[in-house]
Amino acid sequence: MNLVGLALRNLRRRPLRTGLSILGITLAVGSALALIALSRSIKDSTQAGLNELGDDLVVMQKGASDIFGGFISEQMVERIAAIRGVMRASGELFMFAPSAGHTSVLTLGWPDTSYLWKNVPLREGRVPQQGERHVAVLGESAAASLGKKLGNELDLLGETFRVIGIANYTSVVNRGLVLVPLADLQEASYRTRQVTMIHVNVDRGGGPAEFSRVRGSIEALGNVTASTANEVLNNDRNFAILEAVSLAVAIIAVAMSALNVLNALVMATQERTREIGIFAAIGWSNARIMMSIVIEGILMCMIGCALGVLLSFLAAFAFPRIPAIGNLISFKPSVGLIAPVVVAAFALCVLGALLPAWRAVRMIPAEALRRM
Amino acid sequence: MMNVMNLRPSLEIDRALDSRPLISLNSVSRLYDGGAITALQNVDLQIDAGDCMAIVGASGSGKSSLVNMLCGIDHPSSGTVLWEGRPQRTRQDWAKLRRLSIGIVFQEFNLIPTLTALENVELALFGRGLSGSRRQARAAMVLEYVGLQHRLNNLITRLSGGERQRVAIARAIVNAPALLIGDEPTGNLDSTSAANIAALMFRLCEDYGMTLVLVTHDEKLAARCPRQVRIKDGVIVEDTAIPDPLLELQGIA
Repeated sequence: MNLVGLALRNLRRRPLRTGLSILGITLAVGSALALIALSRSIKDSTQAGLNELGDDLVVMQKGASDIFGGFISEQMVERIAAIRGVMRASGELFMFAPSAGHTSVLTLGWPDTSYLWKNVPLREGRVPQQGERHVAVLGESAAASLGKKLGNELDLLGETFRVIGIANYTSVVNRGLVLVPLADLQEASYRTRQVTMIHVNVDRGGGPAEFSRVRGSIEALGNVTASTANEVLNNDRNFAILEAVSLAVAIIAVAMSALNVLNALVMATQERTREIGIFAAIGWSNARIMMSIVIEGILMCMIGCALGVLLSFLAAFAFPRIPAIGNLISFKPSVGLIAPVVVAAFALCVLGALLPAWRAVRMIPAEALRRM
Repeated sequence: MMNVMNLRPSLEIDRALDSRPLISLNSVSRLYDGGAITALQNVDLQIDAGDCMAIVGASGSGKSSLVNMLCGIDHPSSGTVLWEGRPQRTRQDWAKLRRLSIGIVFQEFNLIPTLTALENVELALFGRGLSGSRRQARAAMVLEYVGLQHRLNNLITRLSGGERQRVAIARAIVNAPALLIGDEPTGNLDSTSAANIAALMFRLCEDYGMTLVLVTHDEKLAARCPRQVRIKDGVIVEDTAIPDPLLELQGIA
C-alpha cells in the first residue's frame, strides 16, 4: 500500500460524494473546453472562410469595430486595382440579411464582374451572368437549412431572388453563405455604392518587400487598413468580446470544479478528523498528512479531467450534427486547447485540496482523536 | 521468537550509555477553555529508559492529559517536556519522535477500519525510507509476534476487540520504539483478552527493555508495574517505585 492506494480507498469509501465531485469536475472541464472551443471555432471558421476565397489582402475601413461594421466607397475598388502590383480587386457587401420565415442568413454581395464568382466551387447550377439581377448562389448548408433547390425563389431583405447555383465550399462559414449580385444587395439594404470590404489579389512574384509596398500603398489611400486573411479578425471587436466572454465563463466553470474538490475534501477531512489524528499519533509528518489529502484531490481531478476531455470530444462529435450549430460553426477540441484548460483545472483542484489539508494538520492530534 | 527489534538493534546499548531520563516533564500544566479547566497542574515527572510504570487515577484525574504530554499529541500550556534532555519544540519534532521512538496503544484502538491488519501496521512504517515490500514484510513479522499471522489480510472490522488491540500493539512496536505508552489498553476488552494484552505488553518490556508507561484505572494491572504514579485533579499525589526483588518476593512479577 502507498499514499495513492490509501487515497483510492478513501475515495471508494464515499462513492456517492466522490462520484458527484468527479461529475462536477467533468462537467466543468467539459463545458470550459466546449465554450473555449466554440468561441475559437467561430473565429477559425470565419478565418477558414476568408482563406477559402483566396485573398492576399482584405481591405476594410480603418477603425471598423468588426467585419460587418466598416463601409467603404465602391470607388475605392478601382483605386486599389490601379496600384502597381495589385492583380485584381473586388468589393464585397457583407451582412446578415433577414429571410422570410427564417432567421437571418449570411449574405455576400459581389459585383457581377468580380473574379470571386469564378472561384465559386459549384456543385450544381451556375454563377450570375454579367448584368443578371435578383439571382442567388447558395452554400450547401444554407440551401439545406432554407430548404431551397435550383430554380426556387428566396426572399432576402424583402426582395425575391432566384436560386441559380449551389456551391460546395469546404469551410463551415462559406457553406452557410448566400451569394447575390452586389447591386441587388446594395439596393435592398440602402447602401448604394458602398462595400464592407475589398478582396485583393497581389502579384506574389515581387516577394515580401513588394507585398509590403502594395499593402502600404493601399493604406496610403486613406481611411482603410489592408490585412492578410489571417490578420483580419485579430482586431475584430465582436470576436474579442466573444472570446473574452467564453474565457470568463470557462474560468468560472473551472473554478467551480475546484470548489467541488474543495467541498468534497473539506467534508471528507471533517469526517476523517479522527483518522487524521491517528496519522499524527503514529508520527506522520504534516507534509505526509497533507499529501495524503491532496492526492485524493488530484485523483478526483485526474478522473474528472479525463472524463471532461472525453465529454468535449463527444460534444465535438455531436454538435455538428445539430443543424443550428453545425451549419454555422465547426467544433474541434485540440491539444493546444485541452492542455491549458486541464492544467488550470489541475492547479485549481490542487489549491482546493490544500485548504482542507492545511486545516487537517493544524489540528492538535489529541483533540482530533477525541472526535467521533 | 522473532526479533522485532531489527530496525534498532543498538537500542539497549544506547540507553545504557545515556544517564539522562528518557523523558521528563518539568512544571507542566495543561489548561483548557482559557484556563477554566485545569487538566494538569505543575506536574514534574521523570521516566528513565527501561522503566515499567503505571499511571493510575480516577476518571477525569488527568491521566490521559499526562500521557498526551508524554507522547506529544498535546502540548503543555506551560512547562517543558524533555526527551533525553532535549526540549521538543515543534509539532514536527514530536511527530518524528512518535515515528521513531514512541509507540502508543489507545483504549479505542484507533485503527483505520477500511484497511487490513497488515495495512494498519504498515502505516506506521511510512516515512522510514523502506520499500513497500520491506514495509509489508516488517509489518507481517510484527503481527506474527503478536499472534495474528493468520489475520494479516483481514479488515479491522472483521477482528475481535482483543485482535484489534493486538494490531494496535503491533503498529505501536513496529518501529521498535524506546517508549511504549498504553492508554487504558485493556479498557475495552473482556477479561481474557485484557490479560493477554497486558501479558504481551509486559513481555515487550521484559524481552526488549522497552520503556512501558501504562495508564490504567485497574489497580491489579497497575500493581504489576514496579513504579506507580497516582494522579488526582491534575496533580501527581504519589510516585512509588517498588524494587524488582520485592515484586518477586510478593510473587507479583
